[in-house]
Amino acid sequence: MSSERPSTRVVDPRAVRVATAPATTAIEAAPIVLEPAAVPLAPASGERGGQVLIDGVPAGLRLDRRDAVHVVLVEGQGRETSWSPVIMLPLVPTAGPAIGVVRREVIVDGWRIEVEIESERRAALRERARRGGDETARAGPTEVRAIIPGQVLAVSIAPGDSVLAGQQLLVVEAMKMQNELRAPRDGVVSRVAVGPGRTIEVGDLLLVLE
Amino acid sequence: MPMTAPFRRVLVANRGEIAVRIIRACHEAGMEAVAVYSDADASAQHVRMADLAVRIGPPPPTESYLRIDAIIAAALEAGAEAIHPGYGFLAERAAFARAVEEAGLVFVGPPSAVIDALGDKLHARRTARDVGVAAVPGTLEAAPVDRPDQVAAILAEAETIGYPLLVKAAAGGGGRGMRRVVSPAGLPAALAGGSREAASAFGDGSVYLEREIAPARHVEVQLLADETGRVVAIGERDCSLQRRHQKLVEEAPAPGLTVEQRRELHGLAVKVATAAGLRNAATAEFLRAPDGSFYFLEVNTRLQVEHGVTELVSGLDIVREQFWLAAGRPLSDEALAAAGRAAEPAGHAIEVRITAEDPSRDFTPTPGRVRRWVMPAGPGVRVDSGIEAGDRVSPEYDNLIAKIMVLAGDRDAAISRLRRALDETEIAGIQTTLPFHRFVARSESFAAGELSTDWVGENWDGPASLARAARIGQLAAGLDALESGLATAVTTGGSLGGTATAPTDSGDGRWARSGRQAVNERWPR
Repeated sequence: MSSERPSTRVVDPRAVRVATAPATTAIEAAPIVLEPAAVPLAPASGERGGQVLIDGVPAGLRLDRRDAVHVVLVEGQGRETSWSPVIMLPLVPTAGPAIGVVRREVIVDGWRIEVEIESERRAALRERARRGGDETARAGPTEVRAIIPGQVLAVSIAPGDSVLAGQQLLVVEAMKMQNELRAPRDGVVSRVAVGPGRTIEVGDLLLVLE
Repeated sequence: MPMTAPFRRVLVANRGEIAVRIIRACHEAGMEAVAVYSDADASAQHVRMADLAVRIGPPPPTESYLRIDAIIAAALEAGAEAIHPGYGFLAERAAFARAVEEAGLVFVGPPSAVIDALGDKLHARRTARDVGVAAVPGTLEAAPVDRPDQVAAILAEAETIGYPLLVKAAAGGGGRGMRRVVSPAGLPAALAGGSREAASAFGDGSVYLEREIAPARHVEVQLLADETGRVVAIGERDCSLQRRHQKLVEEAPAPGLTVEQRRELHGLAVKVATAAGLRNAATAEFLRAPDGSFYFLEVNTRLQVEHGVTELVSGLDIVREQFWLAAGRPLSDEALAAAGRAAEPAGHAIEVRITAEDPSRDFTPTPGRVRRWVMPAGPGVRVDSGIEAGDRVSPEYDNLIAKIMVLAGDRDAAISRLRRALDETEIAGIQTTLPFHRFVARSESFAAGELSTDWVGENWDGPASLARAARIGQLAAGLDALESGLATAVTTGGSLGGTATAPTDSGDGRWARSGRQAVNERWPR
């Protein structure tokens, strides 16, 4: 189905995941996760460049709203600024009940793209639940690794603890935000590799779930 | 200052943008327009615009727009004096023109005998040869496909034409019955296959051989002719940007021709059409080889989709001229004046065909309901279309939904104007060819006039263009959702809206369960 994401995605609770709706376009664009950076988003009038994280990477990006359907995506600053006019229309989901998934029809340069937007945490959880089911069947250990650099603030579990999918494991401060890391599946914590105060890099082992 | 009209009432035997175009000409000339419609088109724009509309059957064309009896009956019932066939459907069916003539009505187009003669491409090729106009090198008689004893003869003929060559259907059009042959080994199978396909498509399995001219430019000449047999050329069009023999972009005049080359080309077209006894309007098609020589291809005995670019450059209303010529008038002063200027056009016009096709998926059809429909306006812009927001593009009919045309002083200015016009165009609900045309309007190769019938395959990368747009669309939709707090607004039992460090509680368990439930709902197993 969709692309595999690291099971330890730690994001702002306001983060959204945007995917192209399956089978509506000739290409399967990778889903994009957008989350607010520490700097607050620009107001709706969009006078100053807002900072957001695109898949965890800060980017200067904002929306100029023209009317109910016309927005302009503004990228970059000063002379490097580019404006991309976008037409955005609501779409009633056509197939299946997808709770919490919002559909939009966007038109860019004449291309018609159907996108699905949902809470990133919700999407990640849904994926974990799916993958968790798969992995429980295989009954192998899951190594939980860091996907953003930062500092561990708190560890909520200890080796031997039983955890449920979605349960908080660690709190990591990254990009001036406190992010909670949740269990990708049900399991028993067999090892905790980090403690409070520890600085972590992307890819570092955090803990192992059996 | 009332001017007499060519007819009092005219039936338009077509639908979509061309029916709308003809109804406009009727109204400008002071004639009443009668529309015909299938059940799929009961509230279509051409029906809304007509003075009277007659239902002719269910949606399939064979049960509606292709029914000669139903259309003649509608014309008689509505009291129409003439029938304009538009293009496609019955426009080039000699049987239809004959039925109209026999019903005592006027067919707005060439007489049935001329349609018959020129519809046979072999006949047209022989006509060209008789008046000394070079047709694309090839055979002039139908190839003997069922005679094993003549295989050697046809192979010898193919050898003199040279490979690669094309097997083409004498009754053909739209690439049906056509086969490309690269070596003698493939010829017998191509002849048999092409003939079979032509027989099923046109009811005539005659095929012939033609040299493949590549890279070629497709150049055609707009012709008008009156009842005395006088034929004039109104100008030429370049229609080289094609995909599987379907034209995508047309312009007038053809770029890169000198005044002398234009005169020569127009002269060739007039010669063939005069010899064929043309009346009313038609278009003579030519291929231009890389060495600059013109080869006659065929004559289309109808109003062309792309007639508008010639109208813009010449200032002549070709449909209006068609009506007056059908009414028996000699070529008008306006038509003669336009013919006199044809080799030295004052401006440049470009048309792009907006069709309901996906240019990222090899132009596959994309029927559906149009949700948003904003067409360009402003100086030098003409739009011919037959739909509005809320209309359905039916899978039953042609995909063409709008022709966006621009006119400017020269080609560069016309391309700039086209770019601007396409930027103003907004269509939602269905994918159209708009992204392809936006690409053409920005292409350096197109601007340099490097036109050929292979251009689309060599220059267009639909998926790459779509990928760029999809990312912008995803980012815009994501930012919009962030700003409206989509993620924190959606709660389904858990505490999604809490701060990042909110203490966990049993809500996580419910949250996880609701997540699993959502998974099951989305991907039932």
